[in-house]
Amino acid sequence: MVLLLAQEYAAVPSILTEYRCGICGRIFAGLPELEEHYAARHPEAAQPVVVALNLNGKPRELLVEPHWTLQRALQFSLGLTGTKHMCDRGVCGSCTVIMDGRAVLACTTLACECEGKTVQTVEGIAADPAWKPLIDAYCRWDAMQCGYCTPGFLVSAKALMDKNPNPTEDECRRALAGNICICGTYPRHAAAILEAALKMRKGA
Amino acid sequence: MADLAGVNGQREDFRVVGQRNVPGKLSYALATGVAKFGIDYVLPDMLHAKFLRSPYAHARVARVDTSAARAVPGVADILTWEDEDIRKLRSFGEMFGAQRPYLDNLADQEGAEVAVIVVAESEDICEEALRRLDIQWEILPHVVDLLEGRKPDAPVIRPQVRETPQFGIRSPDQLESPPKRGNVAYSNFDSGDIEAGFKAADHIIEYDLYTPAFASHMPNPSGSVAWWSDEPYFGEGKTLHIEGAVREKHSISFMYGMPPEKTVQEGLFMGGKYCDWGLRKSQNITPLLAKRTGRPVRCVNTREETYDFIMNQRYAYMKVGFTKNGLITAMDDFSVADGGVWGSSSFGNVGDQTQGPYNTLKCKNVRQFMEIVDSNRGMMYVSGQHCPFNWDIVTIAIHLIAEKLDMDPIDVARLNLHGPESQDDINPVHSFEACVETGRKMMNWDWHRAGARKLPDGRYHGASFRYQMCPRHSFATYHCKLELRQGVVHLPTQGPLFGVYSIECNAMVVAEELGLNYEDVCIDFDYRENFVTFGGGSDGTTASAWVAKECAHILKQRILEAAIEYAETAPPPGMGGGHGFGPPPPPPGPFKGLKPEDLDLAGGRVVLKADHSVGAPLTSAVPQNLFATYSGKPPLAVWVTGSMGKILDTMNTAYCEVAVDTETGEVEILRFGVAADPGKVLRPTSLESQIDQVMYFSQGCQLLEDFVYDPRTGVRLNTNMFDYKKPGMLDVPPVEKDFLETRAGNAVYGANGISHSLANTHMIIIAIHNAIGVWVDPPATPDKVLKALGKA
Repeated sequence: MVLLLAQEYAAVPSILTEYRCGICGRIFAGLPELEEHYAARHPEAAQPVVVALNLNGKPRELLVEPHWTLQRALQFSLGLTGTKHMCDRGVCGSCTVIMDGRAVLACTTLACECEGKTVQTVEGIAADPAWKPLIDAYCRWDAMQCGYCTPGFLVSAKALMDKNPNPTEDECRRALAGNICICGTYPRHAAAILEAALKMRKGA
Repeated sequence: MADLAGVNGQREDFRVVGQRNVPGKLSYALATGVAKFGIDYVLPDMLHAKFLRSPYAHARVARVDTSAARAVPGVADILTWEDEDIRKLRSFGEMFGAQRPYLDNLADQEGAEVAVIVVAESEDICEEALRRLDIQWEILPHVVDLLEGRKPDAPVIRPQVRETPQFGIRSPDQLESPPKRGNVAYSNFDSGDIEAGFKAADHIIEYDLYTPAFASHMPNPSGSVAWWSDEPYFGEGKTLHIEGAVREKHSISFMYGMPPEKTVQEGLFMGGKYCDWGLRKSQNITPLLAKRTGRPVRCVNTREETYDFIMNQRYAYMKVGFTKNGLITAMDDFSVADGGVWGSSSFGNVGDQTQGPYNTLKCKNVRQFMEIVDSNRGMMYVSGQHCPFNWDIVTIAIHLIAEKLDMDPIDVARLNLHGPESQDDINPVHSFEACVETGRKMMNWDWHRAGARKLPDGRYHGASFRYQMCPRHSFATYHCKLELRQGVVHLPTQGPLFGVYSIECNAMVVAEELGLNYEDVCIDFDYRENFVTFGGGSDGTTASAWVAKECAHILKQRILEAAIEYAETAPPPGMGGGHGFGPPPPPPGPFKGLKPEDLDLAGGRVVLKADHSVGAPLTSAVPQNLFATYSGKPPLAVWVTGSMGKILDTMNTAYCEVAVDTETGEVEILRFGVAADPGKVLRPTSLESQIDQVMYFSQGCQLLEDFVYDPRTGVRLNTNMFDYKKPGMLDVPPVEKDFLETRAGNAVYGANGISHSLANTHMIIIAIHNAIGVWVDPPATPDKVLKALGKA
């Protein structure tokens, strides 16, 4: 499953090859043509912008509208489904990504502000064999029930372990305090992280 | 142990069932974000749709002019309630109440979908078009305060008679309720002789209690994506594809007049919808919009639009009579419950009280009069976990009797609990006794009277206890199919996945019965399959697993017969596969001349029953393809027999300790404890997780969660995750657990369901009372605690 995801993801071209009008759906071969189209047909609308960033270790271009959040851009421009939309206002952590080494909330981060940034999503973590023990541990400990919020927790856990490969249970709880699981799986997460940390230390 | 029905119910050796830390079959998809929920689907050339939502609590759209909205660039379609396509729609999901048009011009709660649907290139354009609608609203009087709405002079908001189903068998104690008056419908029960019961009492106590409305547990805002295709793979003509209405494929088929085989829904992930099965309009409108526009259409609610109820607001006044030794002689229960908006579920009110907590008592003198008040507060879809089954009316009575008589509440409970067989049974309930013995040890239980214990830090200590039966109310019939293909056992299911590890439990049982490892059972998810592992109650997992056990037994017999047949008829070594092509057939097992009853399955092999070292792997011993089916259900689903709560075979007990700071009003739950007997534990990791879940649900509704309305406008003020607070990682206390296995349930290996029955409405509130001696209505926020103490 993880490998399949990585292959699908790799198939997405890094550089934009078509430019779609967000208002009438017409597709253009280049940004200048799209800009001309907006000027002629939708002069009062905000024009889309191209954002170049490093996503999961690869350069990516995204065509986004200026008010789009990073969560929305990842979903609607790239079809990535791991950065989840839950609260839409920075409360629940389901959209957590790692940006320039820090866990940030993609639902309160404008995509157009991500120019030049390095962003890692759960798909990138899943495709990295080094982090398989963390995913394995999440699955072994049932650190999910319905599973909707789980990718956000997993990204927060990875951000913690990047900085602190040997966290205590209390440090795990505090690091994940910004993630809400409506199913109430909270005690399982620390158990999973501690097991993964142990395995990763042994495997290092 | 009960005499368990079916094959191998009495099994004592378990290799697979009960294993810990077995990953869920779809856990990797969930953890890595591969799993797609309705909101996640993005298709090429996809349109978006949005409903007009009412800004008023109660209003009618008298007229709407859509011309300006239609002129917004990017708008593809606009429908109103008067369009023929809309008028023809009838939804057939699990929504109760009087029949109502799919979409009309009446909004009976703030945020209700009403009158208009816009389809456009983006959600932003939809919103812009909705802003451009020229709407003439007729604002109607509203009711969001039940105590105002029940008054004779309150404006009548809905004249219809309630037409709601009866859950279970109608009780002989159900009275002919008076006709609806104003906004109030009635549901009245009277059993025994209430007056005689009070006369027999040495003490009578009266109390009021309140339960706030409680929001549904949906992390993923509801929505769907639909499109139509001409793919010949699915047969001639149009095929409807819909994703995001998981578990409701058949109701969507019915709604759009499509044969089931021409309605495709492959997604498995529905998010946490615990007891909340009703389809939202965003989940079943997309096929129509896709048909009209010829493009895929996505319609998804916002977070603000995702605050439906899973427990209705309720006020109650109680009067309890009891003897000087603590035996309850009469309970008089008058309550005022929210009937919600038009179409709300009647769960927990109309005709439903008999499923409630009184049924565990010896006392039969119970009067339950309920007023059900129509309101503009919100919608409850289908059911809730907390009411009526877990309504803590009796728990509070037991606590108050304990306070009055200075008795341990566990002893009060024991005195009042009827026997395992019926309400007339006076024998002890073995499962209850086992649970409380374990629970006392686990909690170092040392009950004290209210306000009697201070902690070293100056806070007051409080404790509470409750019990409930582990239910066996699943009444569904399950249709299990197992296949052996090339030596591998397949368990096909249509899914879906909604937060419990139900199919995994089934696979564990199949592995147990067939001598396999859990990993060797291949779970095939296929939307065309018939087998689902839930239905009719929280014990769906154990009930469906009972059916899987029976099915596995049939397959096992066929495997053993096939092994003998192959041993007798296998071609000699050296011959090729069929028609001389392919690999040579595998060598058969050494079973020539034997009978099926001489064989067994163990370790993925067919073996001699007398000597397990002699045998052959399944793949070679049985190269034939085999299958087995079994349709049925475990015996005695108590909901159907009308005995809910009157057969006490497996029980659970829960405990809570709090510390209350009387200076700040802050309540800290020090710990929860659960000593429970689910009969047999199938998958411990998920059972523990389900118990955490239900205790945190209960924590939320007693300490944090409530809906706040502006009384003037009827508008809900806190439909967001800042202001409507669910418990977080640092809020939740430890939940200590100890499981017993009395094997006394009716489902697989004597298991019953459990998690629902731990949902509680007042266990924490009782612990707070035990700490400070005053009642605090839930949610017990610090300001309410201080107010109850007279400090604010």
